[in-house]
Amino acid sequence: MTKWLADKLWRHIVAISVCLFSLFPLYLVIISSLNPTGSLNLTSFIPTEISFKNFSILFNDPRIPYLTWMRNSLIIAGAVAILSVTIGAASAFAFSRLRFKGKLMGLKLLLLVQMFPAILAISAVYVIMERVQTFAPAIGLGTKPGLLLVYLGGAMGVNIWLLKGFVDTIPTELDEAAKVDGASPMQIYWLIFIPLATPVLSVVALLSFIGTFNEFILARLFLVDMPDRTIAVGLQSFIGGQYAQNWGPFAAGSIIASVPIVIIFLSLQKYIVNGLTAGSVKG
Amino acid sequence: MLVSIFRGKVALALKVIALLLITSVFTMLAQHAFAQGEYAIATFLILATFAMNFVYLTQKSVPLKFFLPGLLFLLAFVVGPVLYTVAMSGFQYQTGNTLSKQEAIVQLEKLGKVQDANQTTLDVTIGRTKANELAVIYFDSANKEFAVSTEKSRTVQNSSTVTKNDFDVPNGSSDFTKLTSDELAALDSKIPTLKFYYDGEYYLGLEGFQAASLYKQSIAYDAAKDEFKSLINDKIYRDNGKGNYSNINNPEEILQPGWRAPIWFDHYKSLFTEKRLRTPFIGVFIWTITFAALSVLTTFALGLLLALALSKALRGRRVYRSILILPYAMPSVMSILIWGGMFDTEFGAINNLLGTNIAWFQSAAFARTAVIVVNLWLGFPYFYLVSSGALQAIPTELAEAAAIDGANPRQIFRKITLPLLLKILSPLLIASFAFNFNNFNLIYLLTGGGPINQLDGDLAGSTDILISYTYKIAFKEGNSNLGLASAISLIIFVLVASISLYGLKKSKVLEDLS
Repeated sequence: MTKWLADKLWRHIVAISVCLFSLFPLYLVIISSLNPTGSLNLTSFIPTEISFKNFSILFNDPRIPYLTWMRNSLIIAGAVAILSVTIGAASAFAFSRLRFKGKLMGLKLLLLVQMFPAILAISAVYVIMERVQTFAPAIGLGTKPGLLLVYLGGAMGVNIWLLKGFVDTIPTELDEAAKVDGASPMQIYWLIFIPLATPVLSVVALLSFIGTFNEFILARLFLVDMPDRTIAVGLQSFIGGQYAQNWGPFAAGSIIASVPIVIIFLSLQKYIVNGLTAGSVKG
Repeated sequence: MLVSIFRGKVALALKVIALLLITSVFTMLAQHAFAQGEYAIATFLILATFAMNFVYLTQKSVPLKFFLPGLLFLLAFVVGPVLYTVAMSGFQYQTGNTLSKQEAIVQLEKLGKVQDANQTTLDVTIGRTKANELAVIYFDSANKEFAVSTEKSRTVQNSSTVTKNDFDVPNGSSDFTKLTSDELAALDSKIPTLKFYYDGEYYLGLEGFQAASLYKQSIAYDAAKDEFKSLINDKIYRDNGKGNYSNINNPEEILQPGWRAPIWFDHYKSLFTEKRLRTPFIGVFIWTITFAALSVLTTFALGLLLALALSKALRGRRVYRSILILPYAMPSVMSILIWGGMFDTEFGAINNLLGTNIAWFQSAAFARTAVIVVNLWLGFPYFYLVSSGALQAIPTELAEAAAIDGANPRQIFRKITLPLLLKILSPLLIASFAFNFNNFNLIYLLTGGGPINQLDGDLAGSTDILISYTYKIAFKEGNSNLGLASAISLIIFVLVASISLYGLKKSKVLEDLS
């Protein structure tokens, strides 16, 4: 008995107390979202009344174009995920499988570039896109395509690097066999590599989706008009400084926005943990 | 069948069509950019078009076919902005200094005017003379006469020929016809720059479509000497080398607007020499380091404790694990905003739980505590996951051997497990430090950098880290300083890059490359 105490009890105590810490805010958000008054009141921890009023406000109140924000986020994050993996996979293939002059140098530069936090160049990106706006209003500052381009470019380094890491783990026997049989690099890429790499590519696409969905500051600088906003910027501006009045709908909105991300994340756990030890930190 | 998409005539046709499309779009964009004077962007677009056509139409380089699109994106949206940041950091580029020098001189001449002593304002009608010169007609109340003024001359009108509108304002004469409303609309943007002759010293300047005031030029530009001279008190203003004309006897007195002047390393220098900039910069810098270090320390300590606690088979371990990584799976923007509500003074859960009444974001110490607590919640699952992985990677033989030699579990942990763990995890600890060094979202969304000492008129708040401080400098409404912000960005980059490179050396990624 004492041995059990010494060996197991402290483990349970540590685990349970940290679990409480980790669940505390989530629990509060859930009960807030079900609280019909809708105002911030986190002083009682047991719900007295349950209603879905806050959720219905989200979909009916013209002050909160919640569905539009959600759609914007899904479209932008989805497009970034697909395009960045399409472009990144080709680069990763070249760096992982082909031999060429200057490859080592290229890899070192890539390593340097992917370390650069995109936020540091934010004022330059802003000024450049302001200029693009003057001659190509469709892709300049304040447009969704413009933001998409900035996201694609900003994440390209990290994505290629991440993809290369994953791609390196795919065995090379098959494409070497194809090479012996006289296949061109293009054929190896499309007919052998892509089918083999599809699981890995979808993981990176989903990771990139999560990252873009969660991006705040570029979206905030770029998309100023209310109906153009992404869910992160929309909810932030909705709650911004007015915790007291808008808390209930905000809680409901953040739950709906988080659930798909949490599900994706938990189902990708294995890959994410592998990626973590490779040195990438989720933003 | 499938192969034909990648080889042969179909493939060639697809390729040519795609290239044609891209070429035409890029060329069109380049033309527009060139027309707007954006030569750098236009050049980039043209070179990119050439590169793509060359790479995909020849067999010169197969690898380039694969990474050219990625490369172009990196050049356009990472390398380009970085170079642009470097350039901006060498310029006086802030609110009031956004024009080129030529544009600034034009603006200064236009703004350098004073009204007459009586502040005379006249009702006017805009039109044309018989000679088709742009002119205004008005009743000159000082001289009690009707007159028409063009840019160069003023002619008195015979009052019998003058017609008036319902408000008794002259609108035509034998020598003058008023403009149609379409013509007026076309003139709109030029209104502030138009001048009409009055008496040599004063001229009529329009205040909209129907009124004009008497002005005289108060400063004059001397192009040969590149100086402005006040026509009222003879003060001389010269280029001060920092993007403004300043009074040669009193350098503090400058003319607005200024221009984007190259000032090379002045931003860097002033960060370390000017007290006004140095004090907040050093304060923010120290807090950034403290914040990043404390964040790594607390998240690692809690994560490691959990990893140790759950390192052995335990009932409910899988449930614990799923709950513990929830904070990491949540979108962090949402979590941070939720925590913001929890720290509310009146209705927040934290005060209620502690039985206190603390205004968390009003005091520096409490706000900093809140930031660290929230970051601990956000970050401990990461270190729990990686520590668990690392613990499994440590061979158990060492610990067993030590146990046989009589070491107690504590000694084994301190002397064997922990050092090995630190060795494995040090690159990740460094990466986490670098990440938190630039953890903009947390600060911006939780405290906005505050509380700010309003009395100083300072931008920097107690929880501001370098990157959030930089953001404020760059984007503060009405007082943005892109030049200074770029300089600080580059300082941050050098710091973060050295930290990360040090981490990479430890992790041996660099050796694996070759």
